Amino acid sequence: MNAPKPKPSKEVDLMITCLCDTFYDQVAASTVKVLEHVGCTVQVPEAQTCCGQPAFNAGDWKAARKVIQHTLKAFSSERTVVIPSGSCNHMVQHGYPLAFEESDDLEDVISFAKRCWELADYLVNGLGVKKWPGKFDGKISLHRSCHTRGSDSYASAVQLLSSIEGLELLEFDESEQCCGFGGTFSVAYPNTSTSMGKLKIEKLTAVKPNYIGATDMACMLHMGGIASKEETPFKVMHIAQILDQALQTKEAIA
Amino acid sequence: MKTYQPIDAFARDAEPEVKASVYSTSKAKYDKRLASLSTGFTAPDDLRKLAGQIKQHTIEHLDQYLEQAVTNLENNGAKVHFASTPEDANQTILGIMQSINASRMIKSKSMVSEEIHLNAFLEKHGLESVESDLGEFIVQLDDDMPSHIVTPIIHKNRRQIATTFEKHGLGDYNDDPETITRRARKYLREKYLEAEVGLTGANFLSAESGRVAIVTNEGNARFSISANRTHIVLLGIEKLVPRDKDLALYLNLLARSATGQQLTVYTQFLNAPKSADQPDGPEQLHVVFLDNGRSEILGGEFKSILRCIRCGACLNVCPVYRQSSGHAYRAVYPGPVGAVLSPLLKSNSYPDFADLPKASSLCGACNEVCPVDIPLPELLLRHRNKSKIEHQKKAAAGTPPLGAWAELCSHPTLWKTTLATGKAMNHLPIDKMPIPPIQAWTHSRELPEFRGGKFRKWFKQRKS
Amino acid sequence: MSRSNIFQSIQQATQSIPAEAKTPLPDWKPGDLQSAFTPQDQADLWEVFKDRFIAVNGKVIEDTSEFQDILQSEPGSKLYVDPLVFQSIQPLAEGMNLEICQTFDVDHVDDYPISVTLAAGIIAETGTVIIKENQTSSRLSALAPWTHITLVDKRTTVYATLLDAISDLADDPYVVFITGPSKTADVEGILIEGVHGPGEQICLRI
Repeated sequence: MNAPKPKPSKEVDLMITCLCDTFYDQVAASTVKVLEHVGCTVQVPEAQTCCGQPAFNAGDWKAARKVIQHTLKAFSSERTVVIPSGSCNHMVQHGYPLAFEESDDLEDVISFAKRCWELADYLVNGLGVKKWPGKFDGKISLHRSCHTRGSDSYASAVQLLSSIEGLELLEFDESEQCCGFGGTFSVAYPNTSTSMGKLKIEKLTAVKPNYIGATDMACMLHMGGIASKEETPFKVMHIAQILDQALQTKEAIA
Repeated sequence: MKTYQPIDAFARDAEPEVKASVYSTSKAKYDKRLASLSTGFTAPDDLRKLAGQIKQHTIEHLDQYLEQAVTNLENNGAKVHFASTPEDANQTILGIMQSINASRMIKSKSMVSEEIHLNAFLEKHGLESVESDLGEFIVQLDDDMPSHIVTPIIHKNRRQIATTFEKHGLGDYNDDPETITRRARKYLREKYLEAEVGLTGANFLSAESGRVAIVTNEGNARFSISANRTHIVLLGIEKLVPRDKDLALYLNLLARSATGQQLTVYTQFLNAPKSADQPDGPEQLHVVFLDNGRSEILGGEFKSILRCIRCGACLNVCPVYRQSSGHAYRAVYPGPVGAVLSPLLKSNSYPDFADLPKASSLCGACNEVCPVDIPLPELLLRHRNKSKIEHQKKAAAGTPPLGAWAELCSHPTLWKTTLATGKAMNHLPIDKMPIPPIQAWTHSRELPEFRGGKFRKWFKQRKS
Repeated sequence: MSRSNIFQSIQQATQSIPAEAKTPLPDWKPGDLQSAFTPQDQADLWEVFKDRFIAVNGKVIEDTSEFQDILQSEPGSKLYVDPLVFQSIQPLAEGMNLEICQTFDVDHVDDYPISVTLAAGIIAETGTVIIKENQTSSRLSALAPWTHITLVDKRTTVYATLLDAISDLADDPYVVFITGPSKTADVEGILIEGVHGPGEQICLRI
């Protein structure tokens, strides 16, 4: 639908996402450190809240438009926007133009979308980072968070992670399947959603990883939530945390 | 767990045996599809997009292509009929049968015939109509409904089938699949030979030549048009492709997407009644086009659903379909395609099916496998928007209202205050709160520790 | 009545789409359907066909004695031989305790365990045998018998790809591409062959 995005700058606004703002502050902090490592100047617009996806996916596009309009205002600086979430980025790229399909503001949301980048895609395709320094000891089942479909984000994440010394990405069954979150779907369809999550966890852990990796906090929230309830916790890391942890090693510093 | 959504209740209450069978068959088909597409083609994704574009073009110019196809069919000696509603289609078919004093029909698999409930209609008029696809035959014996577009009895196991056969006088109880198949062969062979009329669907119709392409693995569509003198093709108005060569593209994609085969066993092309010197086969070819709301869909925001070629790939990959099975969708077309299409068909009432588009985590796997690249998640979202505007009760059930949340999200000061006070959540017994969405979550899931605003604080401290 | 209503409704819909928003008809070339299979010279095509026909559980016979073994497996029965292949088959089937028939009696379709008809074409890419209405003397004869044998001879066109074969459907009113024996996996996903059509699909080249 859109022409290719213009190359992004290293002057970036970080979209924290509502889930980092409420539960996953460490993911946001890691994102800052990762971006600074590649030479970015990071700012965090104070007025930001949520991208509007919960309402949009629930069908309340009127409510979603209100939140989207606020988001556009909060990020009015014209800087590149980096989002540590395939899902929020998907919302910006696809949901925003849909929600404003018949509105005079359509051009504005499209031009905003062109400034927005999911973290891994930004690093690999935006900045041309091919290899990530440092070391990470461990095997990871990287969940292909669904909203990276149709984008370069998942391939970028795989490229970055597999370039890290010591890190092994595991192959697992049913990698195309969803973790079952789906926003309000998780509470409107609690039985289906939970069964999906349990199955996903089963497939991800069957290959005995040290960590489960994800490109989205929402998947982490859902899988982590089921695991805690079942008292079978496992370690879930966002890709930003993995990249950040690799940077902390002496190999990276040296 | 308590639920307000019927499809979720199906997922909760489905017999473990049914669930296991739906899951394993769907998964096997997905895996085979993937293998056959990626070993078959260097760039399968480009082909999906090409096929999607051609179909989109076709439906956007449907008047022209339909006209062309009809002219070609009529020039070749076919009689063409149009039906606005299922009732019209049934009457047309009844009329054809009466005109030749026929009392028996043999039917090859056709989803459109399910859509118009043809069997029940003909039965009511004292006419016999026998399904010849093995799965559909079993569905008919059981007075059941197909639960999948391609594999109608994905929800049944061999023991249930053996019991059905025994009950209908098709031999003593025997659950060996080969025995079941042989008994059906013997029984149906007589039906093929007795029937005066054979009805099939159409997988594609080429406008350029009026050629109908019909595929089956069992050979039933072929037998249905070999031993009788009248062939009725029943199809939706959207089944067209512009050119004969496009058939090559779609047949390649259809077989691979549906069953992981390179090509379906019997792929047949016909564009006229039998030739004069051929002893077997139909002297009369009737083509019945059904609208049933399709032309209205064409004019609106859901038009791309008319690209669908009924391969069932979106069902096979759909995690919600895998959990709930096809009957949960309460209509002829289940799964993601059904969730978009069923509410729109003229013979269905929108309010009754308004919940279907909610039965999705919007994971997008359906779009990724669709051989004609239908943006299914986008269409599901459009339905949700429509339902919300129309206050559809069935769609709203179980979804928390988000108006107040939108207020919160568009007022940053309020947002930050909430982040600061939200820490109380860590000390409240939230799983005891009588708020349905919270209960729905906490019944099977915990929430992580609330850490509202911590990042903002960290970032500020770091800068200073 | 329905006809004009439906056309009117379709026209209304298609005309509501602005011309510039309409999807153009993409043209595509054989190369776009590029499969892992690349057509080679004619000799190779037969080999490719064989491999792929066997892969879909078809049988290929290139040796007369093997063909005769099959005929001998049904002593005393009727063998249907399409008049179009009679010349080639009759000498091989003679003296075998088989009643060779050149007409197919539709009232006794189960009396013929084996039939032999002409392969109008084969497709290498997919392992497919093509039968055409105008080169098959009776539809049922190529469908009802448990064992259906198609003869590949000089009249058989060898196509490299599915697209090639579809481009050559010509004026034949009824063309069938057969890619293996009749089969189903409706019962618990278990493969069973010989549902309504032949359980044995054989391609004979002698």
